[in-house]
Amino acid sequence: MFLTVTLSLLEGFLGTLKLFILTLVLALPLGLFISFGSMSKLAVIRGPVRFVIWIIRGTPLMLQLLIIYYGPGIFMGLNVWGSDTTGRFTAALVAFVINYACYFSEIFRGGIQSIPVGQYEAGAVLGMTRRQIFNKIILLQVIKRIVPPISNEVITLVKDTSLARVIAVYEIIWNGQAFIKSSGIIWPLFYTGAFYLIFSGLLTFVFGYIEKKLSYFR
Amino acid sequence: MPILEVRDLKKNFDKTEVLKGISFDLEEGEAISIIGSSGSGKTTLLRCLNFLETADEGTISVRGECLFDGAHPVTDAEKLRRMRLHFGLVFQQFNLFPQYTALENVTLAPLLASGGADRGAIIDNGKQLLDQMGLYDRMDNYPHQLSGGQQQRVAIARALALKPDILCFDEPTSALDPELTGEVLKVIRNLAEKKTTMIIVTHEMAFARDVADKAIFMDGGVILEQGPAKELINNPRQERTRQFLSGLAK
Ligand SMILES: Nc1ncnc2c1ncn2[C@@H]1O[C@H](COP(=O)(O)OP(=O)(O)O)[C@@H](O)[C@H]1O
Ligand SMILES: [Mg+2]
Repeated sequence: MFLTVTLSLLEGFLGTLKLFILTLVLALPLGLFISFGSMSKLAVIRGPVRFVIWIIRGTPLMLQLLIIYYGPGIFMGLNVWGSDTTGRFTAALVAFVINYACYFSEIFRGGIQSIPVGQYEAGAVLGMTRRQIFNKIILLQVIKRIVPPISNEVITLVKDTSLARVIAVYEIIWNGQAFIKSSGIIWPLFYTGAFYLIFSGLLTFVFGYIEKKLSYFR
Repeated sequence: MPILEVRDLKKNFDKTEVLKGISFDLEEGEAISIIGSSGSGKTTLLRCLNFLETADEGTISVRGECLFDGAHPVTDAEKLRRMRLHFGLVFQQFNLFPQYTALENVTLAPLLASGGADRGAIIDNGKQLLDQMGLYDRMDNYPHQLSGGQQQRVAIARALALKPDILCFDEPTSALDPELTGEVLKVIRNLAEKKTTMIIVTHEMAFARDVADKAIFMDGGVILEQGPAKELINNPRQERTRQFLSGLAK
């Protein structure tokens, strides 16, 4: 039984992992893009971008999942997500990417704005181009400052993937819970915790390593 | 012909006039010191010369070529970048790049400018400049491993590495503990002896008097008095200059 449960949970964990990785791969660049929008000199860009960030950060991810999955059908009569598991997964991914991109964008904005203006000016008086200043001076300093908050956010994401369950996306908790109905046992559900712990432990280790690598300067 | 001619430079921030028409000349190989109370516009003047601020009116000419004219300010980023190369600026707060070693701080901009050519020569030049600053054994240290005085000397080497026509200093020792100012003033003094063309904003009056050829006293956005440094600081003609200097002596 233990082996059957472990295999089933592993399979569910693959779903979790897929959602986790795709969310990160898409939300990190999108978040950088959004952070530029939220720092734009043009109020017509900055205003709407900050408004969207406010909405996304001010409402529960669970609600956003439901609205993105059911919204198009209810409000516009459109069946954008189809009716199979791929459609539900895609809807969940979209919700996660938007949500996490907004959180990441605020971390990027904080990181970029925390770099003293003197760093830009020192580059400028040395005849460096704006691109050189960003790539060669600013970027690494920003990365160093955002690694700890990004690390927090990423570990939260590991656990947040379980929310995808509300639109019936198969992930590890879904599989754990299934044993309650099928075999009348609850321990597989509790056992899922071990998977989360091991994975977030691994991530903590990786981020700790990156932080250490960047500790050669202040 | 003077290496630098500044004519009637004006700068406003919103409604406040910070520079109200600044004119002066600087000859090649000369050092000029700028003194004046806080808020008189000294930093703004240096920032206009380095095009970190755009002056509203007036002209800046280097070696007879008009680089800047307030009537037609340059907005093109590439032109601006090239204009900046005529000037170097040493900041009050050093502004070293924390992720680079002393030597990398000095060589970063020249290496980027050369696109990777002359790498060896640029690095040798960087080492030589650090040696000249008395920091040869510190070239592999990161800024946070250096004292303020050492950081400022790296910043001076960094500015020199691009061989600017005119090197500007904005209160280079004001952020330093008193026991560290001497080592920075010493390297600037050495530069003056080597006939480096410099503009030095400073509150160190003895230094301004002894090292610079000329001095400028700024007050409320205007040059109230300018002349040979020794004369201006030992025997100021203006009552306001006397007040300022005697205020410092107390
Ligand atoms: N970016 C700015 N915006 C508005 N006012 C400024 C700015 N920079 C300087 N000022 C004002 O200009 C005046 C001159 O400042 P500054 O050039 O720094 O003087 P100094 O270097 O002689 O102390 C001060 O009153 C200061 O408040
Ligand atoms: Mg100042």
